Amino acid sequence: MTKVKICGLKEEQHVKAAKRADAIGFVFAPSKRQVTIAQAAELAKHIPVDTDKIGVFVNASLQEIEDTVAGVPLTMVQLHGDEPDDLIQAIRVPVIQAFSIRTKEDVEKLKNSKADYVLVDAPGTDYRGGSGNVFDWSLLHGADIDLSRLIVAGGLNPGNVHAAIGQTTPYMVDVSSGVETDGRKDSAKIQEFIKQVKDDSMEQTIEKTGFFGKYGGQFVPETLMKAVKELEDAYEEVKEDPEFQREYHHYLSEYVGREQPLTFAQRMTEALGGPKIYLKREDLNHTGAHKVNNAIGQALLAMRMGKRKIVAETGAGQHGVATATICALFDLDCVIFMGEEDIKRQQLNVFRMKLLGARVESVTKGSATLKDAVNEALRYWVANVEDTHYLIGSALGPHPFPTMVRDFQSVIGQETKRQILDKEGRLPDAILACVGGGSNAIGMFYPFIQDKEVQLIGVEAAGEGVDTDKHAATLTKGTEGVLHGALMKLLQDDSGQVQEAHSISAGLDYPGIGPEHAHLADIGRVEYRSITDKEALAAVISMSRLEGIIPALESAHAIAEAEKQAKMMTADQILVICVSGRGDKDMATYAEKLEGLS
Amino acid sequence: MNRLEQLKSSGKKAFVAYIMAGDGGLDRLKEQVQYLQKAGVTAIEIGIPFSDPVADGPTIEAAGNRALKQGVTLQKVLEEMKSWTFQVEIPLLVMTYLNPVLKFGVERFAAECGKAGVSGVIIPDLPHEHKQLVQPYVDKENIKLIQLVTLTTTDTRLEDILREAEGFVYAVTVKGITGSRDEMSEDVKAFMRKVRGKSPVPVYAGFGISKSSHVDMLRDDVDGFIVGSAIVEAFNADKIQEIEPLIHAVTNAHSV
Repeated sequence: MTKVKICGLKEEQHVKAAKRADAIGFVFAPSKRQVTIAQAAELAKHIPVDTDKIGVFVNASLQEIEDTVAGVPLTMVQLHGDEPDDLIQAIRVPVIQAFSIRTKEDVEKLKNSKADYVLVDAPGTDYRGGSGNVFDWSLLHGADIDLSRLIVAGGLNPGNVHAAIGQTTPYMVDVSSGVETDGRKDSAKIQEFIKQVKDDSMEQTIEKTGFFGKYGGQFVPETLMKAVKELEDAYEEVKEDPEFQREYHHYLSEYVGREQPLTFAQRMTEALGGPKIYLKREDLNHTGAHKVNNAIGQALLAMRMGKRKIVAETGAGQHGVATATICALFDLDCVIFMGEEDIKRQQLNVFRMKLLGARVESVTKGSATLKDAVNEALRYWVANVEDTHYLIGSALGPHPFPTMVRDFQSVIGQETKRQILDKEGRLPDAILACVGGGSNAIGMFYPFIQDKEVQLIGVEAAGEGVDTDKHAATLTKGTEGVLHGALMKLLQDDSGQVQEAHSISAGLDYPGIGPEHAHLADIGRVEYRSITDKEALAAVISMSRLEGIIPALESAHAIAEAEKQAKMMTADQILVICVSGRGDKDMATYAEKLEGLS
Repeated sequence: MNRLEQLKSSGKKAFVAYIMAGDGGLDRLKEQVQYLQKAGVTAIEIGIPFSDPVADGPTIEAAGNRALKQGVTLQKVLEEMKSWTFQVEIPLLVMTYLNPVLKFGVERFAAECGKAGVSGVIIPDLPHEHKQLVQPYVDKENIKLIQLVTLTTTDTRLEDILREAEGFVYAVTVKGITGSRDEMSEDVKAFMRKVRGKSPVPVYAGFGISKSSHVDMLRDDVDGFIVGSAIVEAFNADKIQEIEPLIHAVTNAHSV
């Protein structure tokens, strides 16, 4: 299965077009395709984590190479000059050494290379680093070259790459000018080139999908891969199926009670003295929060796949209640895993799930919260994968979950967009939503991503403060890592052990963040801030008294940040807050924490 | 030659023992490896503890938690292995989840494994799709990246995985997580036969192997067995000698 490298990329759109490639090349040597370390680092934000990022150099020093490897970062280095063997061996990452091939004698030189891979190219003309001329592939015949380290370049294009692979069966093919039009990369040609290579080697079955920039993927045990792939296919199908969409929207309107109002918060607006404030009322959904939007979508999908058993995790219990509700509605078997700590905090929701006929399994391992409930749900799924669907509740997990959950929650943002245009004749200036795993936020933000004039703000839980060890501010404090099937941002220690998160709100108490949020943070499209337990509680009081709406603790984080944001805005501006859920489930916490309230 | 290749050319049925590094203290690892080597196992898989081991059952998870409480990390385990001066004659493998490797640095991980004399690595949450994340680095050190196949692996996928398999193939015997079991389902035999028929490298059966009846049932259809939870349990209970009959059941009986 020959791999494909697209080389000499300078623009984001072309990096995105090369999403299915196995490697992306950045040229650091003088060339019309040269990029700086900073430019390459920016472009690398759009490259899936398992795609090789290869830097092309000509006679650079070890220091320059190492600095570039660390700065982008690069996973491999490609050398086109007269680099000595000791330099090649000193480079820590795998090295590709390029050779210009004119004669059989040139082919002999390849064999003595100290590099991990050798690249064969036509002789250069203007610049070293490949000229785009085709070399005589037949020169490689009978040369006894280790094909597992051979990379073929030089004059390849979508029209001839098939033949090149046929003649040489290399480890990788490398293209640059062959996917350009008038000296500039061409997205259509890049995609066509990749397609030619991949189709050639029947690689469609194992294709790279499900990345948001570098984040995402399908990092799950092999036992789950079949289920994950089946789900991916099934979801692709229903996404375009009008009958499925009609059914989904039927239940949203007839059962959940959508569409939900976008309420003008008059007294809050007056009290803060800034922008006009609107509230998206997900608290009015049946079961009390946005979670049910996704539960219905996934349950309908599971039934289409012939699965009538559902397993789910829950933190605050809202997703568990939504899932148990939908399972009752559709007569599905339902098991919910919930951390022991959360069970204590959310007694009411536990009883609701039981009343609805679900089996609630207490998880006592680890921190006994949402993270550990996901672990147990995944293990249960591994053991029961043939007849069970894992109805994940947030925009987390292996592909297609983050995309699917986002799509099912996007009804929030779609309605909001329509409603604000109706009421105000224009889009809002800022939108705020709370972020744990990130499902209500991504559902709210997604329809606005392309509207650059709308400022999007996600609000994480700072717990007792982001500088203490008791918080859940993953994007503020976290680093890259793999948990529950995806590369995302994580709270972890120096040895890669996932740390416990803390928030007064069980729904935000998760040490990771959905991969799409991690990407949106990286590229700066969404700004993520954090609110402490104390600030959230204060917002519960103000919202209750100003608007007669008792919000969920999770939603109170977005409200608290909105109070700060409003002070930076003016009366002719508009701000929208996603009130993701109502506070009924939190009454015991409110009664305890706000004791003596007068 | 990589030790896994030597093991293959010996033609013996393999017995791969899994131990959780640092369960009972990292200083025990050395004696555990020496003990198992002497008891006749043909390879040892050294598990690195992880906070969220979703492919593992309660026995290995509990062992991992005990090791984490002792402050065991990937780095400390590799340092410990590098310090060994006794003769290691059998292949050593490192089994770890992906996140500790990413945090450590993939390239550094491969290089340190190389220095520690590791022959293969197993990363259960790194499926075939994403193996490029690790493959070039372990290739550089001549360390094999072991792939898993399971009862739910589709035929096309199985071919894709086996085509690039190296070292050995880890064939999972159960639909589920690691841990001892009484019964082994009948379709496992057919599955092992299918995998072995197509695999360019030896096929070892793992997950749930804890009794000689499991070994007897699959003996003719695999090249070896991987035993984890039963050994972890035995070390923890200080009854490792009770595992010896199982080792001999695999390695002594009629050859391939």
